[in-house]
Amino acid sequence: MSNIILLIEDKPGLLDTVQSLLELHHYTVITATNGQEGITLARTHLPDLVISDIYMPILNGYQLLEQFQRDEQLHKIPVIILSAKTADEEMNLAYQKGAAGYVTKPFLFTSLHENIKKLLT
Amino acid sequence: MPNFKTVNDNTNTKDSSLLDNTSNLIAIISHEFKTPLTAISSAADLIAAKLHIDNYMDPFYKKNISKITTEIFKLNSILDEILTMSNIISNSIEIKKELTDVHEILQELKTQYFTDRKDARTFKIKVSGIHVKIHADKKQLSTIFSNLLNNALKFSSKKMPVVELKYEEHAVIITVEDDGIGIPAADIPYLFQPFYRGSNVDSIEGTGLGLHIVRNFVSANNGKIFVTSEQDQGTVFTLEFPYP
Repeated sequence: MSNIILLIEDKPGLLDTVQSLLELHHYTVITATNGQEGITLARTHLPDLVISDIYMPILNGYQLLEQFQRDEQLHKIPVIILSAKTADEEMNLAYQKGAAGYVTKPFLFTSLHENIKKLLT
Repeated sequence: MPNFKTVNDNTNTKDSSLLDNTSNLIAIISHEFKTPLTAISSAADLIAAKLHIDNYMDPFYKKNISKITTEIFKLNSILDEILTMSNIISNSIEIKKELTDVHEILQELKTQYFTDRKDARTFKIKVSGIHVKIHADKKQLSTIFSNLLNNALKFSSKKMPVVELKYEEHAVIITVEDDGIGIPAADIPYLFQPFYRGSNVDSIEGTGLGLHIVRNFVSANNGKIFVTSEQDQGTVFTLEFPYP
């Protein structure tokens, strides 16, 4: 059975492309366009991994990480943050809030995939 | 009536606020550009993956898809350079000095993707003397070496560039040497100025910002930088960082 990945990204063009890339690599993908929708879907589907943007409307990536950490069911699910911010402060903040990985945009899919494989083994 | 000092102060406030606004604007533009760049690079990745799966991938597609990806990462590096420059100009670069192992930073760079590399060469590291850590900002040190090595790979094509680390009595001396096209003597005094490019670089791409950033970061970390070069023979950048 394929692993379920929840992909949270507010830019439809990028969401669609990364979803297709993940599906081509045999993952089952569910998508959300903001953190709030992401948390609702995570509670329903309990994915094996979450990939999330930071700057999104309604609930951003940092708030999503905080809610995951507080939730008994969700805190065990690894979250990879995808962000255009490359400053150490942003990365450290994401890790402090419980991110399991941090990939900067733009990225090569191979590097995102390496992170996914590492967290799913 | 305002005196001369007050007028000057207002001008300075206006200038600094303009600089802050410009710097913020550049930061926003740079960030906003990265999302479409990511969508383009992911679409190129997706096309490549689909062609592989359907057994349609051939050298033509491979070469041209790889060209798209390389150019996207080049554009991304340019955005990062412009952002760094703008932070230097507006004085908003934070420096976090800590005990830093120069050798370790160079070894980490060996695995980095050098955007301007035109072949599979990396670089050699030679070390002499007793290893001492210096007091410096790791990220800035990494940017310094990454820029110098990127240039060394970009402007040479035969031998691997060589980085030599010499732990001397009071300072570590680092040389980055290549056997490339060299820098004409007339260009050397202007080399570290922003947007200045050597008169012999012709069609070799670049922004002319890298060495300006390098010099700023070297000074910010109490270092010194020198350059010696001979046209068509190669270039040596020498850096000196004192021990704490």
